[in-house]
Amino acid sequence: MKLEKDTARKLTRDIIISLFIYALPVVLMLLTFYVNGQRPWKEKTTATILNNH
Amino acid sequence: MLHYIELIFRNLSVWGLPVLMIITGIVEFALGLYENKWDKNERILDIVCFVVPKIVIRPAIVYFTLLALPALLPGLKGIFSWVPFFWGFLIIAVADDLTQYWYHRLHHQVPWLWRFHRTHHSAPYMGMAMASRQNLLYTIFFSQIYLTAALTYLGLGYAAIFVTGLKSLITTGAHSSIKWDKPFYTKKWLHPVAWVMERLISTPATHHAHHADTTDDGVGYYKGNFGNMFFIWDVIFKTGIITRQYPSGYGTKNYKKEEWYAQFLWPIFKSKKEGSELSADGPMVAQDPVEEPALNYNITRVAS
Repeated sequence: MKLEKDTARKLTRDIIISLFIYALPVVLMLLTFYVNGQRPWKEKTTATILNNH
Repeated sequence: MLHYIELIFRNLSVWGLPVLMIITGIVEFALGLYENKWDKNERILDIVCFVVPKIVIRPAIVYFTLLALPALLPGLKGIFSWVPFFWGFLIIAVADDLTQYWYHRLHHQVPWLWRFHRTHHSAPYMGMAMASRQNLLYTIFFSQIYLTAALTYLGLGYAAIFVTGLKSLITTGAHSSIKWDKPFYTKKWLHPVAWVMERLISTPATHHAHHADTTDDGVGYYKGNFGNMFFIWDVIFKTGIITRQYPSGYGTKNYKKEEWYAQFLWPIFKSKKEGSELSADGPMVAQDPVEEPALNYNITRVAS
């Protein structure tokens, strides 16, 4: 029993759309950081350095 | 406050959920919601599927997290621990549940994968036991478990506790025979809440439809409604229907009450039932018997 052509086409289309959905929260997060001028990854590095002293 | 919520979700992921599922199961049984369809074969299968993965899967995840990930992603442990909780929650929720949507959908739409998922659909009843009633190989290859373990290793573990806890509650509630969502459809003032809820998360109405044994009543839709925690994927990909009703029957029309061990361990063990999809020479996907279509309905069809 083979995968129907129409099903295969829809699967391919929806998988491509999914890749954008996977990326969406990350993109929105980075956009928020950009707009607000936040750099949380740097804050963490600073805190680690301070803790080491 | 957050501390207490954290405690609940931490315990939920360890022992809380199994206890909650057992209590729900006892309530369902006491209320007669299995309708005398829970015979010996079904009982053994449901209990084995509930217990064994907890013994097998947890060590596999621990192995994957502690041994495989440091080898696969050396030096990257905790690299994203700076990600704020809200964003970590959103990233894991989307990554985990969208991956499960795809894992689930492919097992329905790619014929050779169907038999690994059939056990989840064979029961002629609904109940909390359905949430864990799976073929062992289907459970072992649950791809979103490993993705979430990897994101935990990369530093999103705190958010993962909340996502997996919330997801467990929603999926158990969606499989339960207790129709907790009914008041949202019967009380008019709750309709706006229902409209949002049924599009956002899986409810008994939408997920019971996925477990229906027919699509002919206009309520059942085993060809769609694939969402697990979120139903929004079915809305986006047009693979779902919303009717606010519950199907007339559950399971599959070609169920032959295959032996519990064949359902749990196919293809390692095969069924002796003639013509079964799980037998040695059975069809990959059995054809449903042809029935007269019924007239109906008031459906919100989001499927293409």
